[in-house]
Amino acid sequence: MVLAVVKPGALATLQGSVRHGLRHQGIPGSGPADALSRALANRLVGNVPDATAIEITFGGAVFEFREDAIFSFAGACGAAELSGALVAAHETQFARRGDSLVFVHPPAGARTYLAVAGGIRADNVFGSASTFLPAAFGGYSGRALRSGDILEAPGVAQEGVQLVTPEPFRPHMSRTHSLRAVPGPDYDELGPAAWSETFPATNRMDRTGLELSGPWPRPENGAQKLSAALFPGAVQLTPSGKAFVLLPDAQTTGGYPHVLQVIRADRHLLGQIAPGDRLRFLRRSVDEAYSDLLAKTRYFAEWLPAFRF
Amino acid sequence: MSVPAICPVGDDALAVKVGEHAARHALASVLRSSGTWLDVVPGKCEVTVQFDPLELSPAKAQSLLVALMKEYSLSEEIVFPIMTLHMLADEASAPDLPRIAAENGLTPGVFLDRIDASLLSVDMMGFTAGFAYLTGVDARLVSPRLSIPRQRVPAGSVGMITGQLGLYALAGPAGWPIIGRIVEPLFDLSRHDPFTLEAGMRIKLVIER
Repeated sequence: MVLAVVKPGALATLQGSVRHGLRHQGIPGSGPADALSRALANRLVGNVPDATAIEITFGGAVFEFREDAIFSFAGACGAAELSGALVAAHETQFARRGDSLVFVHPPAGARTYLAVAGGIRADNVFGSASTFLPAAFGGYSGRALRSGDILEAPGVAQEGVQLVTPEPFRPHMSRTHSLRAVPGPDYDELGPAAWSETFPATNRMDRTGLELSGPWPRPENGAQKLSAALFPGAVQLTPSGKAFVLLPDAQTTGGYPHVLQVIRADRHLLGQIAPGDRLRFLRRSVDEAYSDLLAKTRYFAEWLPAFRF
Repeated sequence: MSVPAICPVGDDALAVKVGEHAARHALASVLRSSGTWLDVVPGKCEVTVQFDPLELSPAKAQSLLVALMKEYSLSEEIVFPIMTLHMLADEASAPDLPRIAAENGLTPGVFLDRIDASLLSVDMMGFTAGFAYLTGVDARLVSPRLSIPRQRVPAGSVGMITGQLGLYALAGPAGWPIIGRIVEPLFDLSRHDPFTLEAGMRIKLVIER
């Protein structure tokens, strides 16, 4: 299978598995911002959950198939145009050589995952094909996709089983988000207001994180804590009186007050937050978060048996 | 030393509160070599481990760490290797040096002498790929963060804030005043081990004047 990038949209990158074991050297995990949608797309073309796929940000991307292909997509875009014909997300699709595939701006959500049978070939660095833009490695030569890039996948297109994601497993895209979180190490600087207020997402977002405005307390004298390890899902207070929620490419250590941590089971939801969306946090204890993770994993196991949140 | 406190960092990570202590790097490498943890990350005064709760429940992770810390003695006498790095301090490589030196009432030469005489060590890696925090800088030298960060400094740039040097392994934005540039590559993917530095290392800076 060969796929040409005609237009990448706001940002398109190749994302494979999460990198582990190098955060102490400043190398974050990377990987898809919404790992669940990426796994759902991969499932429909017979790939393992973390096979390398294209992460498209806010639609606006156009591709051209240079060979017949089996593909699927899931995430923010519920539909796309395949040479002018509407094709739906969450279904195995078949493209002919010369077909164009056009994604428009989705009404809700932020990221769409385009998977092709066999997974897309990418640079494997530190055990993962995921693109890490700040250090320019992984994925497609360490950079975002551009017009004219040619992507290859080892899969051969044979008209085969057409799969459809069963309705109960399709994530609902919304402009409001409820995220379960546990108190972070510096929760005392925030207090119970976190659980009753609604926080809007600002325009500041990329693969390192997203900014939230709203009634956050301003840290005392912009106080920096001693730098400590941070992971995706961390909610930090910033000196400007806002909060910053970390995503897969975020820095691995930092010193802003770490007041909340979005639970492991819900971190995939962070990848679908768009500017202007509204967020609420639901309080969990560590034990409750563990039960939530077990329950959510069991729920999805019926359709995605190998997927891990 | 008493057994350090172990505190949750969210629902899938735990921090061992070791204190601001060079021994935390030795503890980190013991934890890393156990193969139990997804990542082991030293901070300024703790070592944080991340785990997959589906493999290791939070309760089991906690008791495993408690048991390990009862057995493990934080040695005070770890000797780390010395790494020699060459630093350029010409006008192009050290754009903030004349100003910072003057603010400290020193000539650039005397300022660099004091950097030279400092016993530097890598206190932490992190922030972004290959970035090294060096401590041990002569405490009399004062250098506040830039009020407006630079959009881009070259790879190897040496930033300084009071008490610390920051080695920017990659070209990119930088909020610390720049007082030099390291000649040796600090992060090079073409090498078998892309990282030149690791936490705990002592650093000998050879300043090229």
